[in-house]
Amino acid sequence: MLWERFQHFLGEIFINFRRGGWGVVASIGAFTVAFLVTGIFLLLTLNLSHIVARWAEDFQVVVFLHDGITAEQLSLLRKRLDKELAVREVTHVSKAQALADFRKQIREQESLLEGLKNNPLPASFRLRIHKKYQTADALRQLAASLRRMEGVEDVLFGQEWIERLTGIIHVMKILGMVIGAVLGVTSLFIVANTIRLAVYARAEEIEIMRLVGATRAYIQIPLILEGSLQGGVGAAMALGLLYALYRATLWQLGTSAPTLFSGSEMGQFLEPAYQMAMVGVGALLGGVGSLVAVRRFLKV
Amino acid sequence: MIQMFQVSKIYPKQVEALLDITLHIQKGEFVFLCGPSGAGKTTLLRLLLRDDLPTAGQILVNGRNVVRLRENKLPPLRRTIGVIFQDFKLLMDRTVHENLHLVARVLGIPDMISRRKIGRLLTEVGLLQKAHQIPYMLSGGEQQRVAIARALLSDPAILLADEPTGNLDPELALDIMRLLADVNLRGTTVVVATHNPILVSEMGRRALILKHGRLVEEIA
Repeated sequence: MLWERFQHFLGEIFINFRRGGWGVVASIGAFTVAFLVTGIFLLLTLNLSHIVARWAEDFQVVVFLHDGITAEQLSLLRKRLDKELAVREVTHVSKAQALADFRKQIREQESLLEGLKNNPLPASFRLRIHKKYQTADALRQLAASLRRMEGVEDVLFGQEWIERLTGIIHVMKILGMVIGAVLGVTSLFIVANTIRLAVYARAEEIEIMRLVGATRAYIQIPLILEGSLQGGVGAAMALGLLYALYRATLWQLGTSAPTLFSGSEMGQFLEPAYQMAMVGVGALLGGVGSLVAVRRFLKV
Repeated sequence: MIQMFQVSKIYPKQVEALLDITLHIQKGEFVFLCGPSGAGKTTLLRLLLRDDLPTAGQILVNGRNVVRLRENKLPPLRRTIGVIFQDFKLLMDRTVHENLHLVARVLGIPDMISRRKIGRLLTEVGLLQKAHQIPYMLSGGEQQRVAIARALLSDPAILLADEPTGNLDPELALDIMRLLADVNLRGTTVVVATHNPILVSEMGRRALILKHGRLVEEIA
């Protein structure tokens, strides 16, 4: 009995899919586009936040040193930095170390460095900053006071543009959500229309079932499940495309700018939870869309 | 089995389909609902099936007041009523067997049982050898018999037939009537709507005559 009911639902869905033709393709396509666009935004913001968070964590302030800095000046500076409240950690990077790091970054293109007679890279102190001092103002003050010290060539801090980037990420998140919502609602209507057409195409059959005593659920559930399936399949296809796009982008970045984007540890795809949520939301939207159609076009 | 009390059905724009109908059909009866087209026969059958609600009056079918029946009680009611539609309502995109199977599924008859039952009913109406043809390929009389077989799937307490002999030649029409009489013999209450007075007189059953939505005469 239960099995037969299940068979009925499955069979109906299959029939609707086959008969729906381009309508089904259109609604799955709509969901794919909606979720692809939303997914791109999601992936971009996710990766950008990740990168920014890492940068923010890694090197917040870099104090470049004069090549001619004396040992005395160096130890004075070191003491000053150790005493500084904002500074959590100080790392000294010598000229040789800087060159070695650079060599590592541009590996495979080391020939670029062959012509160098002496090391052009400055030694530096890399500072990690306590969380509560991580504001543009506080860092600007710190940079200004450090710049006045003997032996300091320059002080770089990325806080300002990290903040700006964070702002951009925020805007992108909102934009992504808005565009996603608009496209999602559009897909909902397209699926509603597809289901409406399915209802029309099978009006006679539905009429017969109704008059011989089919319950509302018996008639509606297959149609609603079909909408869900269309939404879910659309979202899953979007995920597939998104992943392909993501791999292609990583590969492209990897070949064109290996120094910035070395290897795959740079990128991050949507977590499984996100992926499942996307498919789930797709199925939910599809189901709601067909529910709307079924409610409006089916009487009992 | 079927009772109507002062039932009226008035469609929008004051189209009066039925006016003040009171009638009583006994359990196990075979009754004709007779009258020219437009007299309200189909409307009356639709009200019995609760496919539509009357504007006024009460209707009892099988002990239940269908006017006040809640929506979720409709399917069980309808499963006790077999219907033969005026236009047959056979699906032309599937075989005769599949047409019946669709209804068997709705009725919740397990496939094992429904297969046998469909076979038996098709044998009864003389169409077993055409089970796997599309109704489209069948003659009008054969399609009608498929519709009858389908209506009997639920072993209905009541069988409603709307112009079951509509455009059949007289010979075939009588065949169909005999078939319905057989069903009646086994205890099913049968209501047949027809515009054909000859058929009524040949069968010699009780007939309710409708005219312009009113019950004007009753032939016993």
